[in-house]
Amino acid sequence: MTLQSAIRTVGSSIRNIRASSLLGWGVLVAFLVLPCLVLAQGAATQAMSVEYRDIPGIGSRNVIWFIAQQHLLLAGFVLGVPLFAWVCEIVGWKTKEPRYDKLAKEFTKLLTSAYATTALFGGILLFLLIGLYPKLMAYLTDIFYPTFVAYSILFLLETAVLYLYWYGWDSMQGNKKGFHLFLGFLLNLFAFFIMIIPNSWATFQASPVVVADGTALERAWAAMWNPTWWPVNIHRFIANVVLGGFICGAYAGVRYLLAVSREEREHYDWMGYVGNFIGVFGMLPLPFAGYWLMREIYQYNQQMGITLMGGFLAWLFILQAMLIGVLFLGANYYFWMGISYRIPGVAQSYKKPILAMLIVLMVSLAVWMTPHTLVASLQEAQQMGGAHHPLLGVFGVMSAKMTVANLMILVTFMSFIMYWRAGKQETAPWAKIAKAIMGGVLAVAAITIVVLGVWGYFVPALFRINTLSVAQVLIVLFILVTFTPLTAVLLKSAKTTTEMVWGQMPVRSGYTLVSNAVMVILLMSLMGYARSSSRVHWHVYGVLRDTSEYAYSPALGYAAALMSLNTFFFCLLVAFIFWVATMGDKSQAPSKESPQKVEPGLTPVMAGGSPSSGGKGGVQDNR
Amino acid sequence: MLKSIVKKGMIGVLVGIILVIVARLTHFPPMFQAMFFIYAILGAVVFILLDAPSMNRIEGGKAVVALVLFYVVLSGVYIAGASLWPQYDPEVEKGKIKKILKAKRAKTNLGKQEELIARAKALAERAKSITKQLNALGAGAQVASQGASEVAFTMGAASGDLVALGKEQWDLQECYNCHKLFGIGGKKRGPKLDNIGNLMTPEQLYEKILYPKRWMTEGFEKQYKKGKMPDKYRDLMEDSEVQALVAFLSTLRDTSVTTPKPIKMKLK
Repeated sequence: MTLQSAIRTVGSSIRNIRASSLLGWGVLVAFLVLPCLVLAQGAATQAMSVEYRDIPGIGSRNVIWFIAQQHLLLAGFVLGVPLFAWVCEIVGWKTKEPRYDKLAKEFTKLLTSAYATTALFGGILLFLLIGLYPKLMAYLTDIFYPTFVAYSILFLLETAVLYLYWYGWDSMQGNKKGFHLFLGFLLNLFAFFIMIIPNSWATFQASPVVVADGTALERAWAAMWNPTWWPVNIHRFIANVVLGGFICGAYAGVRYLLAVSREEREHYDWMGYVGNFIGVFGMLPLPFAGYWLMREIYQYNQQMGITLMGGFLAWLFILQAMLIGVLFLGANYYFWMGISYRIPGVAQSYKKPILAMLIVLMVSLAVWMTPHTLVASLQEAQQMGGAHHPLLGVFGVMSAKMTVANLMILVTFMSFIMYWRAGKQETAPWAKIAKAIMGGVLAVAAITIVVLGVWGYFVPALFRINTLSVAQVLIVLFILVTFTPLTAVLLKSAKTTTEMVWGQMPVRSGYTLVSNAVMVILLMSLMGYARSSSRVHWHVYGVLRDTSEYAYSPALGYAAALMSLNTFFFCLLVAFIFWVATMGDKSQAPSKESPQKVEPGLTPVMAGGSPSSGGKGGVQDNR
Repeated sequence: MLKSIVKKGMIGVLVGIILVIVARLTHFPPMFQAMFFIYAILGAVVFILLDAPSMNRIEGGKAVVALVLFYVVLSGVYIAGASLWPQYDPEVEKGKIKKILKAKRAKTNLGKQEELIARAKALAERAKSITKQLNALGAGAQVASQGASEVAFTMGAASGDLVALGKEQWDLQECYNCHKLFGIGGKKRGPKLDNIGNLMTPEQLYEKILYPKRWMTEGFEKQYKKGKMPDKYRDLMEDSEVQALVAFLSTLRDTSVTTPKPIKMKLK
């Protein structure tokens, strides 16, 4: 046995021990949670005497806020990653290309440590809730007890499947691959249900339904099917994919910044591209899901909708628009940088379209950020002729905001298509006609979206919401669904005029990827604050009042500071998880004196190429 | 390269200035004028960054410090932006919650006990001070008990200011979100109520608050159909609170403001 193989064996054992011990921790936490259910039930009787407990100096709400946010962000990451790992595995299985399988395995490796950390924070959260908010927990336990049992069982099943999925990866190749894929399906299925059960508790607090008499199961079932449950389920499901994508992108960005060798730069440049790609594609339908959620909130309780969009939380949505705008700008900017730096020589020809796209994005962002009503001084209001500015009144309404949201999605999609096509010359005889048709359809789509938006001002709100807005969304989806395969077919026979070079991106590309991830985390935190504050001083809206000293909603500036702290801590946690997950790899890695070449065909390729397949792979180093 | 940066920067500043001038002419508040300028600069920065030369690569600990600094800048801008935004004062909400909870708490056994204890304490204090005064004058305990009953009467009178309590309910229930009154509030969801006291009797007002569908307002047919006025107040408000709100609304008789006419609806 050589020294290298010995190190590899020891490293593998360490990795296995670490992974199994982490998973063991996960199971331990799950078992610890089970007695908590009994404790929670016990809390029902205790609650009569103690309604709240506090943590002096810090405040019980701040502690719950911090731990719950960490748990939710970790959970979002843990639920998003297996989804695209499984999709990658399927692609590898169908195309018979091992590089996809390798990528899927890399993603799954992260889960082992991330999963245990998520469970750990979930356990801490539960203990804290029982201890600090016994009245609320007694109430929720009374209604949701059957779902607690289902949740625990699902958690155990998920753990078992993750064991089999991860440890069985190498042994379930060949004719057993089908079973392994089935395990991947089960992993995602259980993960989905693990997500939607706690969603029902949280959405019940915001939009409780009358819990009819009946068995415990019937009552729990009725409470789960509250009006905002499914909009939140869909919104969170998509957001988790986005979070997973952008965090992988940020990780790649950081590694790219820290990379020493050319191979490392190539690899992490490519990985950053994949992360950004997944994040952007998840992000495109997200505003539609958000719109649906808001619609359901308005239909459930108009006062709550007003509190959110027109009441004291209205300015929060301007902050949200700012974050989304920066995220869209960052994602597009990363694509544009890819054109300039990865495909040498083509940047000049794309300058004008990029400038046009930037202007559309900036104007759209300005409209999205426009509030409907201003907080103005009396003098300012008199000058404007009321709280509604003649222009702001026009741009501040949903019709305008839906229109620009759709335009921003279109621009981002076109940035990607432009990046995909850069450096390639279509050779198909029908290419010219196809490109002309695509250009024409795109122009018609953009004009139609604007026309529908303007039309929205002259029709009843119900028609605008149910017909015009839906039509706008369908037009964008049509473009996404038709342009992607058409471009793929066009490029299949295309001639590469300029090879893609990986590892040439400037340092700021790494910072852009980090910024994108930070924006997504801040956005998720901000929306959590909005959802919670929309209940005002209710634990369960209209049913159970919050009578604690923290019943009020904190001011936006204070909340933003806490969100920033949360985001920073979450980034540290994720860095730790990645470090733990790749510790074994480092012990196997070759020394700096003899850098290992990237094995051809072992790194996956996505739209735009990869270091091994799409280009020369860093032929020059001009840094 | 520097020439290109300066050129793009100048264009950004120029566009920003034009936007500020236009915003001023159309009476946008200063905050928006500043925002428009920032938009233009942000756009210019993104375009400058596209062509900007690559920075020197930083390695090791310095790279980590640079990343942390980058995060500090991002979150600093975020916190500063959120803090400068117009925002409500949590103390206002705290005050509202206190008032709402007071009425609710008073109805519970614990609340009743607390109130009795508070009253007893107040009476004891008052009796003590009066006894002290009377003792100084040489009077007996007979007068002290008379003092205590006076206190109880005064307290009752203080809490009996129905119109003031009604005004408080107007604020607590956030009626101003939909109705304009004294030129404040309202967003076209509900009518101005400055003259409602001349158009509806107290009984009709009481009915409208608890059962909004029984009354419609002229010109607000759409809002009526959509059920814009919530019917939650019969669950949220105590009867005494509704009575107080009605008393307050009945005093609104400003004929100089056009309050649309309420119409009684026939419901199946």
